[in-house]
Amino acid sequence: MSGLVNAQFRVRDDLIEMAERSFAAIAAPGGSLSGEERIALAEAARGSDVNGRLREFARHLYSSPATVACEHVRQAANDAGDPQTVETIGIVARLSALDRLHTVLGVDLGPLPTAQPGLATGEIARGLKRRRGHVPMPPGPIPVTLDLVPFEAGAFRAMFGPLYMTEEQMGDPLFARDPGLNTPQLETIAARISMLNECFY
Amino acid sequence: MFSHAWRLRWSGEIHEYDIRIEGIADPAIDVGVPGGMALVGLVDDMVKGDITARQQARDAILNELGPESLVDAAAVFGNFEMMNRVAEGTGITVAPQVLEREAEMMKTLGLRDTMKSQHS
Repeated sequence: MSGLVNAQFRVRDDLIEMAERSFAAIAAPGGSLSGEERIALAEAARGSDVNGRLREFARHLYSSPATVACEHVRQAANDAGDPQTVETIGIVARLSALDRLHTVLGVDLGPLPTAQPGLATGEIARGLKRRRGHVPMPPGPIPVTLDLVPFEAGAFRAMFGPLYMTEEQMGDPLFARDPGLNTPQLETIAARISMLNECFY
Repeated sequence: MFSHAWRLRWSGEIHEYDIRIEGIADPAIDVGVPGGMALVGLVDDMVKGDITARQQARDAILNELGPESLVDAAAVFGNFEMMNRVAEGTGITVAPQVLEREAEMMKTLGLRDTMKSQHS
């Protein structure tokens, strides 16, 4: 769980609450994976027990996103299914955000939460096609790319505001956290990490 | 990255900063935002540095911009670790018209050859 309350300096309440909610969501049953399966994927992403195609994919995406190619995603999807692969992308991506938040602040990564009981909910969006990417998704920008699994997509979008900006804040070039960083400073970090990750989107 | 390099230039102009977008590709060049060298240095040292470099990078932000800014930096850093993985995992692509529109920025950032290879 999140150790942000133990940081050397005060962390915003919305960030602490977001981290707690996000870790809990990783441990909960998803649309196509149980809580136990989701925690196993998160553990694989961090480097333990990477046996199996989906766990290998989780580790690859977590540790070296720039080298993930269409063939890796398709192999995972052929082996496990599109919903399971999309769900894995969401789990790994959100865990990467949480882990980076902690490490930049010098807070130890704690153990992952205990998996919540229950089977996958089966809530999968219908009618989506693999039209312009590696997985089925609706037309639109990056916030809709995980919409095949609505639970995962919602958990993903819920992190934007505390971590970066809400959609409304993004429209205001004078947005600033006071005290804190303003839009050009936030965009400097966004652009530089994307450059190092070789992510051109 | 395109959209955020573009947003940096757009918001920086409104703040009347002297933005040098090439600083995103070359950390020796100051991007032109307050604390910009420290912010870029934080990203680089967290990705590539050892434990000493990481602590020095945190200290640079704390000294220059304050603890609230380090928290904001950590948060936005995390957000784009997430976004980059969603982009790579799902395979969402940059629209051809964006590549065309941002040809000058691609050249400034030294991306032209890389982008060609990505789409070949």
